[in-house]
Amino acid sequence: MYRKFYLILLLTSAIVLLAFSIVATVKEVTPEWKQYQSEYKEMFIAKAKDPEIAEQAKSFQIGHKQIYLNTLERVDRCMNCHIGVDNPLMAGADHPYKQHSGNYLDNHPIAKFGCTVCHDGQGRATNKKEAHATDLDTHWDTPILPAKYIESACARCHDKEMLKDSGAEKVAQGEMLFREKGCRGCHKLAGVGGVLGKALDGIGSQPKHYFSLRHVEGDKTTYAWLQEHFVDPRAIVPDSEMRVVLNGEEADLLTTYVLTIKTDEIPKQYRRISNYKDTPADGESLYKMYCIACHTDGKYSIYDELFKRTIPAVMSPDFIRTIDDAFLKKIINDGRKDTQMTAWKPDAAGLTDDELNRIVTYMTRNRSGEKPAPFGYSNFTVNKKSGQEIYDVRCASCHGIMARAGEGYLGIDLTNPVIQSADPEFLAITIRDGRKGTTMVPFGAKGLKLSDQDIADIVAYLRTFAQMKHNQGNMK
Amino acid sequence: MSEQEKTGICKFIENAKNLGCNLCGSYLRDGKPDSDKSRSAIIFNNFFLHIQGVKTHINTLRPTYTWGMGLISLFLLFFTIVSGILLTIYYSPSIESAYTTVKDIKYVVFAGNLTRNIHKWAGEGMIIFVILHMARVLYTSSYKRGREFNWVIGIILLAITFFINFTGYLLPWDQLSYWALVIGANIAKSPNEITDFLGLTQYFDMGSLQKEMLLGGTIPGEATIPRVYFLHIMLLPLIMFIFLGVHFWRIRKDGGLTRPDEFEPKGEEAGLPTKKGGIFPTNKTYGLMELAKGRTPAVDKDIENTVLSWPNLLRAEMAVFFLTFAGILIYSMYMDAPLKELANPLIPENPAKAPWYFLGLQEMVSYSAFMGGIGLPTLALIGLGLIPYLDREPHYMGIWFSNKQGKAVAVQSFIVGVVVLVGLLVATVSYGWFRNWWPDVPQLLITLVNPGTIWVGFMMAYSIWTIKKTNSTRMGAIALFTMFLLSYIILTYVGTELRGPNWDFFWSHDQWPIH
Repeated sequence: MYRKFYLILLLTSAIVLLAFSIVATVKEVTPEWKQYQSEYKEMFIAKAKDPEIAEQAKSFQIGHKQIYLNTLERVDRCMNCHIGVDNPLMAGADHPYKQHSGNYLDNHPIAKFGCTVCHDGQGRATNKKEAHATDLDTHWDTPILPAKYIESACARCHDKEMLKDSGAEKVAQGEMLFREKGCRGCHKLAGVGGVLGKALDGIGSQPKHYFSLRHVEGDKTTYAWLQEHFVDPRAIVPDSEMRVVLNGEEADLLTTYVLTIKTDEIPKQYRRISNYKDTPADGESLYKMYCIACHTDGKYSIYDELFKRTIPAVMSPDFIRTIDDAFLKKIINDGRKDTQMTAWKPDAAGLTDDELNRIVTYMTRNRSGEKPAPFGYSNFTVNKKSGQEIYDVRCASCHGIMARAGEGYLGIDLTNPVIQSADPEFLAITIRDGRKGTTMVPFGAKGLKLSDQDIADIVAYLRTFAQMKHNQGNMK
Repeated sequence: MSEQEKTGICKFIENAKNLGCNLCGSYLRDGKPDSDKSRSAIIFNNFFLHIQGVKTHINTLRPTYTWGMGLISLFLLFFTIVSGILLTIYYSPSIESAYTTVKDIKYVVFAGNLTRNIHKWAGEGMIIFVILHMARVLYTSSYKRGREFNWVIGIILLAITFFINFTGYLLPWDQLSYWALVIGANIAKSPNEITDFLGLTQYFDMGSLQKEMLLGGTIPGEATIPRVYFLHIMLLPLIMFIFLGVHFWRIRKDGGLTRPDEFEPKGEEAGLPTKKGGIFPTNKTYGLMELAKGRTPAVDKDIENTVLSWPNLLRAEMAVFFLTFAGILIYSMYMDAPLKELANPLIPENPAKAPWYFLGLQEMVSYSAFMGGIGLPTLALIGLGLIPYLDREPHYMGIWFSNKQGKAVAVQSFIVGVVVLVGLLVATVSYGWFRNWWPDVPQLLITLVNPGTIWVGFMMAYSIWTIKKTNSTRMGAIALFTMFLLSYIILTYVGTELRGPNWDFFWSHDQWPIH
């Protein structure tokens, strides 16, 4: 029954099946890498002049090549295509036949190290797309490391002291940038640093899916994300508050360094570590590492468009002259609540007491010998009401009516607990003498001619804000 | 002595000469199938073929009657078994090497990637074809008159097909596996929605028990893979084979596939074997009165309109086999089975989606984990299983959609179903549900009243209304099944294509805020 129908169906299906079985078989026996290996063999034979090597070339077997690395827990099949990697005759050849550049393989024999331990990528894969894994649809956590960041791989086994002047200068230069651009002002690393940005621990070994790659222009990889976000943070993370912006070259260097911050450790027998000890950072280095991103050199106050507030001039000579070390340290210690200024004490941002002292010493290094003339606040009988009247006329334009400052104001928030706890003498002197490098002009005899009584009244009024703020909080 | 030796050698040479013939003959027992008798013998003497009748009704052979759906499902199962056996050679069910061995299968095992693709697509193809087969059985009323329980077995086989696919999905231990496992485990735990409300959890925490049974712990890990592997290659196949055997055996006992009571051969069919042809005397009918109950063809009907299974049926089966083979091979050559990054508990997939065949359920899980994941699927399976017991009208067996009215009911319920379900989904997507309106509403209320339960309630109400209107339970069955089918398709589509990160609605993947 339906003999013809089924016979035709049977026959067509069988023919189609046969045809596609042949196609499938052909596809299976002629993978991408075989093509490369046979071309390599021809090149090898053509280049081999020495009879012994010519013999070697002729006996080259086309077939799967892989390095099984037990301790490193990986299998690298890169030489299926990069077959000439350890063949000196292939020095001038094109990719993928080319010999490895430099003399790296002398100290890092392929049989012991493989490829992906430095270059990343998917060692098990046997075609270019999936081995290099730079496309999102290859679904591999660590795509191949671009050549310009390759020095970051050296730091997986060698410490930076060894690398400084032996071929991995970029890591050292990148690290310098990392220190001097103040990255840790916002990013924690090993428990120390600010909290505005994400912690950087293990960032170099994080899978690419930790990053939102939507806005990345180049390859959809961690590397491109890092590099592009150093150049234009807000192009990659639209609501980023990152203030540091680098040029392309610096960004490459910093990327190289940041990629060395890894959590996955290479097994011990592969690592080479000199016995150097990092010298404790001095005050200047510490200031750069933690403060400079926001405060720059500290001489001028800046209204910051990202933070929507004014960043104070922390090394204004007037400020340093007026403040004593203990109070300066307290400011750094406690930070400023409700602003971007982190509390830097050991149990918050994680600086040690000693480091805090060094920063204070550095900041006050240029303190001029002469102390400002004492104000003698305690000698005045103060009137908060009149203080408020003067404040609203003279001060509120910069500090805001309730002294909250913030967006659009050139002054700083005076309701802050740290300022509220400040010595009234300090506040009075600041109002009287002003602050160089900021928009705070002297209001006393030298400047806008407020009487000392007026200044004392203002200070008294200012000191009520702690209470007011507290009440406001309760009312909410 | 020499005479005997010579005879012995002669015999040996002669036997050697006839080796081919004898091998063939001993295999076929009755020699070449060149007469009706030997053609019959070849069927009932063969272990694999004897599950089929010696003679096959013409209707069974009509391509437009069955569309070969059941057969295709069976052959797909065959391909998953063959490819699966090949995969077990390389796959290692442990947390360290599950992923890497799958990678090795993909990259270095000869035809490994193709084998994996065949395994994957044949397995998932089974879901489609089993459902289509079920649709054919329903729409041709083939679940009646002694076949009720076989329909129930079919439902069990459908459920096993889902589970065996799901367990296979978990084995590569990539991001898909891990997060599907997390979803699966949370669904297993979802009875807590009810027990928490009733205050029973502290006495008997069924949800957590189920979850820990599945995971072998509280999170997917070390202990999970071996147990999922055991389910996938051992327990579930075993159960499946047993039920499959019963499924086939019952078809045979029920007299082969269903056919219309009044079968009018036409065209090519007409004029072929009648009472006068074949091996049976014309003046006698055979029956198995002592052995078989019910209406077997031998009892109730004559041998009219049947042809010998060899070669008619086997030719058809071979054709479907090659068609399936070619189809699965070509599809697998050009579509790679997905394999994502290594499982990483720290990077949740957003959205974490179950495999596509469960996304309709996941859509309902997004309303209520218990109802979407356990309550409604169970209800659906029970509801489907009860169809043959609630509709016992004996007419129109073997006729697609029974009659004109049946066709109308199918079309009607399809249109009504699409409108109501799409409307319900649009409303849910646009306006949210109770939780968005009254944040403090008790979870039990949402569990009981959500778009999923409302839809299921509507399906039931509509089919009962159909029964009332048409005065026929058969029409109710058609309406219910049509709605079940379309809701499976629509919900799966919504879950697969229109849901993005945080299970928010998106018209396409390009609009997703990330990646």
